[in-house]
Amino acid sequence: MPGTPQSLTLTADPASLGPVTAFLRKGAGEAHLPELQIRQLELVVEELLANIWRYAYPEGASGTVMVTYSVPRPGEMDLEVGDEGVEFDPLTAAPPDLTLDLSRRPVGGLGIHLLKSFARSLQYRRQQGWNRLSFGISANP
Amino acid sequence: MTIDRSEVEGKLVLHVAGRMDAESAAQFEAQCDACIAEGTASLVIDLGDLSYVSSMGLRSFVAVGQRLKGKGGELRICRLTGFTRQIFEITRLNQVFPIYDSVESAVLGG
Repeated sequence: MPGTPQSLTLTADPASLGPVTAFLRKGAGEAHLPELQIRQLELVVEELLANIWRYAYPEGASGTVMVTYSVPRPGEMDLEVGDEGVEFDPLTAAPPDLTLDLSRRPVGGLGIHLLKSFARSLQYRRQQGWNRLSFGISANP
Repeated sequence: MTIDRSEVEGKLVLHVAGRMDAESAAQFEAQCDACIAEGTASLVIDLGDLSYVSSMGLRSFVAVGQRLKGKGGELRICRLTGFTRQIFEITRLNQVFPIYDSVESAVLGG
């Protein structure tokens, strides 16, 4: 049925990237998203997953990540990425200084900037011990 | 992701194809480091067939670029296209690295 949310729950580690990408590609096919928006979607979710591997769970502890999507109408997907780890709102991260030359550029720090560039209506909430980040991807940004 | 190594006019060229993500970025960085360990000062990276790159891949570009700069060399990037070009533009890394339209022009530099 159109719009019915589909969810995938996995252990939060780098091995989850492949299954999550395959899961989202199925949804993107249902939404008839163009290839460019599919890559943008994959990037947004990869950046969120990487944050969860790094920050949500203390070193050595295992936790889960849940990815949910729905297709409200052709050309659009609504998504949510959730974890039960340490409270963390990635949207509060300071923006990177993109004017720095190579020698002064930090090696990291571009992931949040990229996800903010591609995801629409980004919203974070902490709910019953879960970090939940919701957003939309549209074929007509 | 696949990485093919070749030499053009005495310059090392790495042709990177496929997806550079959290799983594969380390492979790219290791290949670049192997070239640096052999004494290469400047590396040409051909991204014409790279369909996807995430921030984990960008970390590797910045790290390798800084290592080469520290040795008096540079990382030259050529054939940016599609999604990969978009990512370099959004992060302004296209203004940090010298970007060329072709392998040949990247090898010549300048």
